[in-house]
Amino acid sequence: MRLRFARLLAALLLASGAAMAQADDLVVVVSARSPIDSLRPDQVAAIFLGQTPRFPNGAVATALDQPIGSAERDQFYLRVAGKTPALLKAYWSKMVFTGRGQPPRELAGSAAVRKAVADDPGLVGYIEREALDPSVRQVLLVH
Amino acid sequence: MFAPSTAAKTIPAACAGAVLFALGAPACAASDSPHSPDWKISGFGTVGVAHSDERQADFVSSVMKGGGAGRTDSWSRHVDTRLGGQIDVTINPKWSAVVQVVTEQRLDYSYEPRVEWANVKYQVTPELAVRVGRIALPMFIAADYRKVGYAYPWVRTPLEVYGVLPISNSDGADISWHWNGETARSTTQAFYGRTDMPLYDGARLRGNNIAGFSQTVEQGDFSARASVITTRLSVGLFPGLFDALEAFGPQGRDIASRLRVNNSRATALSIGMNYDPGAWFVMAEAGRSRSAGYIGSTRSAYLSSGWRYRNLTPYAGYARVRGRVPDGPTALALGGLPPPYAAAGATVNRAVAAMLRSVPSQSTLSAGLRWDVASNLALKLQHERVTTHSGSRGMFINSVADYQSGRTAQVTSAVLDFVF
Repeated sequence: MRLRFARLLAALLLASGAAMAQADDLVVVVSARSPIDSLRPDQVAAIFLGQTPRFPNGAVATALDQPIGSAERDQFYLRVAGKTPALLKAYWSKMVFTGRGQPPRELAGSAAVRKAVADDPGLVGYIEREALDPSVRQVLLVH
Repeated sequence: MFAPSTAAKTIPAACAGAVLFALGAPACAASDSPHSPDWKISGFGTVGVAHSDERQADFVSSVMKGGGAGRTDSWSRHVDTRLGGQIDVTINPKWSAVVQVVTEQRLDYSYEPRVEWANVKYQVTPELAVRVGRIALPMFIAADYRKVGYAYPWVRTPLEVYGVLPISNSDGADISWHWNGETARSTTQAFYGRTDMPLYDGARLRGNNIAGFSQTVEQGDFSARASVITTRLSVGLFPGLFDALEAFGPQGRDIASRLRVNNSRATALSIGMNYDPGAWFVMAEAGRSRSAGYIGSTRSAYLSSGWRYRNLTPYAGYARVRGRVPDGPTALALGGLPPPYAAAGATVNRAVAAMLRSVPSQSTLSAGLRWDVASNLALKLQHERVTTHSGSRGMFINSVADYQSGRTAQVTSAVLDFVF
């Protein structure tokens, strides 16, 4: 029993290690006009999970998501919030069916998120690192 | 529901409506912003079967059911099967409304839908919200989403804890306040309302002056909730039995007055914690209820833990409830009564004893497996050993007249939970 559990743990660690190695880096971005310089992973997770309505400086924060099923989205929530797609869906089921909140609005991909974030200092999104440009500021590197 | 662009049926707001609600803002231009009025239709459901080897009573997921697995049918599809639909209307960042309708087997065996939620929310600030209408009671960690099987790991929320509070919503108002610290988050909710539900044979359950308070704290992977609720409860069941008791003079009237649930104070307290770093979880809650009358008082608790390996979540748990019947004599003293009256009195005593067997004492050991088959579909298998104690029939219903407490039922359930 103990041996089997250890094997299972090892398999789990290997699997998650493999997933990390494959993944491209993501960056959490705000508008270049925003005063926010950096955010901690837990602060980012709280905004994206609808647990806090504001940035740490008190400004109202609205999160933008990448499409459901996209690699960016799955990696972002796994690394920032420790949630697999199934856990994230279960989480939003709780929120939606208790009237506590709705998931972030989805945009089509990194370019669309970057464009929306650049135009509005109240928005925060995550994009592929390669999609960074001067219109947005990186506040967290997710890797 | 989760993704406005894919899963949810988002109906774009008409420009006319946007103009009406946005009070002169450039409404049409803003119609694709997250703040435009929109409608979302979402839903949840469970299809399940449960088997119980107990032939003397029915295993049910709630006392508000007509029948279950065991005595009525050894296999029952009524224990967990349900369907819920919800419409969310977001008018602007301040105003929103929600209606949720659920159909599941009721006490009258019908599947007539019931409005679980119907309220209007005004977001005073991003931290402060007021709701008016029908609101789910925030008792325990999962009480306000206990009908959404997909949202929790088990087949159903632990009966011993969640089953002692048959009321799931109240008509009134609540106010909730969020507070965000450096690392911790807090939500404080206070509510006031009333409820009125049909039972059977024309009897109703009424809760007047429902007042309560709930405090949730979250820090990282840890969350905890404490709540308290108090109400004036009236349950109109067994009118014939109370009339019969009162026919036995002062001693009968004394027993009836102590056992009746008529505008009686009822209180419930709960405290719970959840630690969920993703790869595994542990949840524990404890509750205490006090009520005048034959409903009795209870102390309950559960502990459950599981770990997640890919799409599989094996879990196990233990839950128990200990009930206490009201103090004082609950049987008529029959000595000295003429034989026909003594015989009638003995019949009344048996009926009162049967009624008091519903004050629950039972414990459950459970183990199960959740398999996340697809992104909005979970299949669960669960096996439980449910043992009644202390003369009680536990949380079983439809028990035979000579039900013997202390029996163990082996209950196996399979459910498919979905959200859309």
